[in-house]
Amino acid sequence: MMDYDRQLKLQAYLDGELSEAEAREMGNWLARDREAVALHTELRNTRQALTGFEVGIELPESREFFWSKIEREIERQAPPEPARHSWLAGWRRLLVPAGAIAALALAALVVTKSGSEGTPLEASLADPGAFTYRDDSARTTLVWLSYPAENELADSEPSSKVP
Amino acid sequence: MRLKLTSAAIPGWFGVALSLLLLAGGHAYAQASDLKLEVQLIWGTNDKQSPDPKHKPVAPEVLNKLKELPLKWASYFEVKRISFTVPKGGMTSVALSEKCKLDVRSLGKSKIEVTHFGKGQEVWKGTQALPKGETLVLGGNAPNATSWLVVLKRVE
Repeated sequence: MMDYDRQLKLQAYLDGELSEAEAREMGNWLARDREAVALHTELRNTRQALTGFEVGIELPESREFFWSKIEREIERQAPPEPARHSWLAGWRRLLVPAGAIAALALAALVVTKSGSEGTPLEASLADPGAFTYRDDSARTTLVWLSYPAENELADSEPSSKVP
Repeated sequence: MRLKLTSAAIPGWFGVALSLLLLAGGHAYAQASDLKLEVQLIWGTNDKQSPDPKHKPVAPEVLNKLKELPLKWASYFEVKRISFTVPKGGMTSVALSEKCKLDVRSLGKSKIEVTHFGKGQEVWKGTQALPKGETLVLGGNAPNATSWLVVLKRVE
């Protein structure tokens, strides 16, 4: 069985890539070894077959005639339709800015609404004994003051004891 | 995807745009106008009935709000209810009793400043946004293990 290096060297010999001494050596080897001769023949046949396929394809017509056919085909196709000026386009010109203004107004509405509702309670005069409780679900804020009602309202509501 | 505007869809789109504009405009107008508020003076007690026949149980809507708060009283009676208007940028004083009053100032964008007076002295002052649906409750203890509550809410 011929080793890989030998096969490569035989291919190089076929391609004329070896030095004169190496080529001579390969010639002697081919004279002795039938397997090498068989491989050499196969490689040569393969090279000839590939070389035959690389022949350029020639058109049965001239280059100018070939391209003129393409040009005529392009020209034959229908020209693009001119843009129609319909009433729909007029409405669209009106609707697009109106929609944009509406979207801006809606965004402003949302921002304003969320901004006003998100303001927490801020006590500027705090009762030191007071506490604040917030119930978000009920949207209620309770401020419990230490201010005693005493009989303040009892003056007007004596029976109810209401401050 | 390309949006196709058919002749049937155009009035709908235009209507939506117009509605949004009107909505935004109406909201802006409402914000620029006066604040209509309502304040209730409420007495909290564990008694089932008030000794004062003039007192009536608070409305279910208010009762539900009070029940959500960490308050211990079983019954709440409406002593006084006053509806009032605060002009934009202005202030309105509301007398809840002879010695107790509330000053409410409009700060714009639904925000108000509330000052609670007792016996002529400022007891508490705070600011809060009060859009419709929002409720501010001030309260404190009263004699005989009862309580007083001032419930302030936006009407319009």
